[in-house]
Amino acid sequence: MANIYPAGVFDTEYKQDMLIDRTPRDKLWKNLAFVALLLVPLLSVSGPLGLGLISDQYVSLIGRISIFVIAVQGLNILVGYTGQISLGHAAFMAIGAYASAILARELGFTFWTALPVSALLTGLIGLLFGLPSLRVKGFYLAMATLAAQFIIPWVLRYPLEDVTGGTRPLSVPAPMIGPFVAYAEDEVGEEATIAFEAGETYIVDVITLEIVDSSGALPAFELRSPAGAVVPAGDINMTVHKDADGRLSGFSFIATKAGDYQVALITEEETGAFRARIRRSKALSFASDVAMYYIIVPLAVLMMFLARNITRTRVGRAFISVRDNDLAAELLGINVFAYKLQAFFLSAVYAGVAGCLLAFERNSLSLDMFRLDVSIEMLAMLIIGGAGFPLGAMFGVTFIRFLQEAAIPTLRPWLSDILPQLLPFVEAVNITSAINPILFGGALIIFLVLEPRGIAHRWEILKVAWKIRPYSY
Amino acid sequence: MISKFINKHRKPLTWALYAALAVVVLLFLADQLAGKKLARIVQTTISGVLVGGVYSLIALGIVVINKASGVFNFAHGWMMVVGAMVFWSFFTVAEISVVGAALLSSATMLMIMSAVSVKSLREPRNLLITAAGIAIWTLLMTVGGIELRWLHALAGTVAGAILTGLAVERFTIRPLIGQPLFTMVLMTLAIAEVLHGVTQIAWGTVELNLPIFVDPATNSKFKVIRLDAFRDALDGIAIVRVELVIAFVLALIAFIGFILFFRYTSVGLAMRATSEDQQLAQSVGLRVRVILAITWAVAAILASIAGVLQGGAVGLSLNINFVALRVFPAVLLGGLESIGGALVGGIIIGIVEQFGTLINSSEQVGTDLAPYVVLMLVLVLRPDGLFGEKRIERI
Repeated sequence: MANIYPAGVFDTEYKQDMLIDRTPRDKLWKNLAFVALLLVPLLSVSGPLGLGLISDQYVSLIGRISIFVIAVQGLNILVGYTGQISLGHAAFMAIGAYASAILARELGFTFWTALPVSALLTGLIGLLFGLPSLRVKGFYLAMATLAAQFIIPWVLRYPLEDVTGGTRPLSVPAPMIGPFVAYAEDEVGEEATIAFEAGETYIVDVITLEIVDSSGALPAFELRSPAGAVVPAGDINMTVHKDADGRLSGFSFIATKAGDYQVALITEEETGAFRARIRRSKALSFASDVAMYYIIVPLAVLMMFLARNITRTRVGRAFISVRDNDLAAELLGINVFAYKLQAFFLSAVYAGVAGCLLAFERNSLSLDMFRLDVSIEMLAMLIIGGAGFPLGAMFGVTFIRFLQEAAIPTLRPWLSDILPQLLPFVEAVNITSAINPILFGGALIIFLVLEPRGIAHRWEILKVAWKIRPYSY
Repeated sequence: MISKFINKHRKPLTWALYAALAVVVLLFLADQLAGKKLARIVQTTISGVLVGGVYSLIALGIVVINKASGVFNFAHGWMMVVGAMVFWSFFTVAEISVVGAALLSSATMLMIMSAVSVKSLREPRNLLITAAGIAIWTLLMTVGGIELRWLHALAGTVAGAILTGLAVERFTIRPLIGQPLFTMVLMTLAIAEVLHGVTQIAWGTVELNLPIFVDPATNSKFKVIRLDAFRDALDGIAIVRVELVIAFVLALIAFIGFILFFRYTSVGLAMRATSEDQQLAQSVGLRVRVILAITWAVAAILASIAGVLQGGAVGLSLNINFVALRVFPAVLLGGLESIGGALVGGIIIGIVEQFGTLINSSEQVGTDLAPYVVLMLVLVLRPDGLFGEKRIERI
């Protein structure tokens, strides 16, 4: 990794070269940037202060950018530091996303436990697809990861259709903390009416469930609104929790209206009476964009920091030596295969975290979100940002996303006006979806030809130019 | 202890592993095909070979570029789409606009004439050739009415393919000569994305009808050939689609034609020489830059032919670029440098795909899974392919 320092900076110790913050001022700027990032939602229209300085759209945009920063940072470890090409990164994200969604939906995991588990699982599958790196490298390895990009979604689509929903979108509950306020305990018979406040997330736990005159079937919950109608589960983000034996242990939902909701235990048979003790308690839900922002952004910063830190360790230096010349690295006694596998594992863990966050941020998953195009787009983001630079992922994702946000709405009406007149066979309908690939494909071509080291390299030059002003670099 | 044993008997162990794998695969196939009629199996094999013919042609285009410039072209699928779409435009549009044809032919002629250097356009003689070329090409694209549409379509497709190939080479590959392989891979991916966007704007995502394989007698689709003669032997009737047969024969003719081109024409020989060693070729007076440009143009023409055949036989939409993704395993299987390997690999992948579809047609095993499993197996067991050259690396 080429570090550029202004003239007059001399390192006398290796420790200095490895410092994250070389000067107190560096540290100050980084901390200020982090604080400013955390302040963004507070200044937004729907923020708690109600200042309305920043449009809500940017809060969710920064959230999505941060998710992809994590994924691209994982790619940076593999591509930028270890020099292995991966065309299957979107498929690894898909594993993270679907694993966490299934853990949350089927096995009653919360977001907080699903995140590490799904990340680890993705890492292990990443290891599996890293195995060909024992025998092949360079372009051949790109082919192996391309195979991953097709095999993984196929497995998710067909053999695992029962849990992933196949081609249909899969809904994912919002993450929450709690229940931390135990609200009340109630004894209910077959039906009970309980008061809820509007807009709060409640968790209803079954403490004891006594089944009198059982016919064997387990009861399900049903919720009726204050008006008396049965509330569809999707409207209130209702999730049913099951315990390890697959029995109903409770459910959670967001009360959309204040008032007395009716909680009913229903069964298919008419006979049989149920007696249950339920506890309703409030939970802190992260359903809104602003709330998700405070999960995603600190996590992204943490992951960036960890990735930066890895490069300062023995492992990171081994990665870089494998990238620069793997044969020479092997001669130096570095176990090339082991380090390649580690890079695959780490990269897939990052992809898994990003996939998990994407699942919980969107609240809905479909396999179309993880196509080959997305893998290529992430590679493009990395190259444009600067592969092998700690900030490369951030620059790349931000640049491409803002380019899309800014250029597509301005270009679209203009192109839709002009192109069909110039070329008779062009239909305006097709322009909208086609701008995106042209835009980032074109950006990638321009960067590859003119600045293959990416924006991060320019940024280093800019910083140096600023430090040694008024003298030119 | 174990590693010592493995190292000592590496070769027989490897072959034992291959044999075990083959037995497992054969047992699996036997299990899956146990309930199927012999006629179905024969039919699947035949259509696999037929489908594989077009795949071989696609693989040949990738191999040609890889041999000449050492770039694995991930954009080949989109070059197919461009070629097939241009063909469709000239083939189905009744009134071809003279302005459009003139624009296309002048862009192509300018790219061809400036292949050596832009300065050569200043010479009056070259200008004259350019003007004549534009005129002839435009005439070929627009002369006559709908009865000459084959001529229009061929002239237009060749012009479009040459333009695409030369433009890609000139503006994206040439500036990167000497860059690492990784940059080249990304560049072809970027080209793929740009071509994706351009074709989507121009022709949309709807499946288009490309009626090139029609029965001249009835002017409608061909009836399928029923192998009635073998009814008893096969325990049923195998069906062969005529479109696939024609596409296979045309692909084979094109394949042989290009092999003859590489073997006997001076340009083809120069291309092969360049692929062997660029510096050596340069030192005997070959213009390596021009030859690389020609290679890309030839590959684009190959891609267009494959695209038209695929579009006519199976259906024309942007999705035919996925066919090229399925051909990557074929290229690796045959060996990256081997032209004969492209033929063998293409046909093997065609058969694998058809058998995958036979075993499980509802889950797209044949198109979405089987080729990539083959790819993984090739990479792990024999990365150089069946006929590829062994790579030796030095520090």
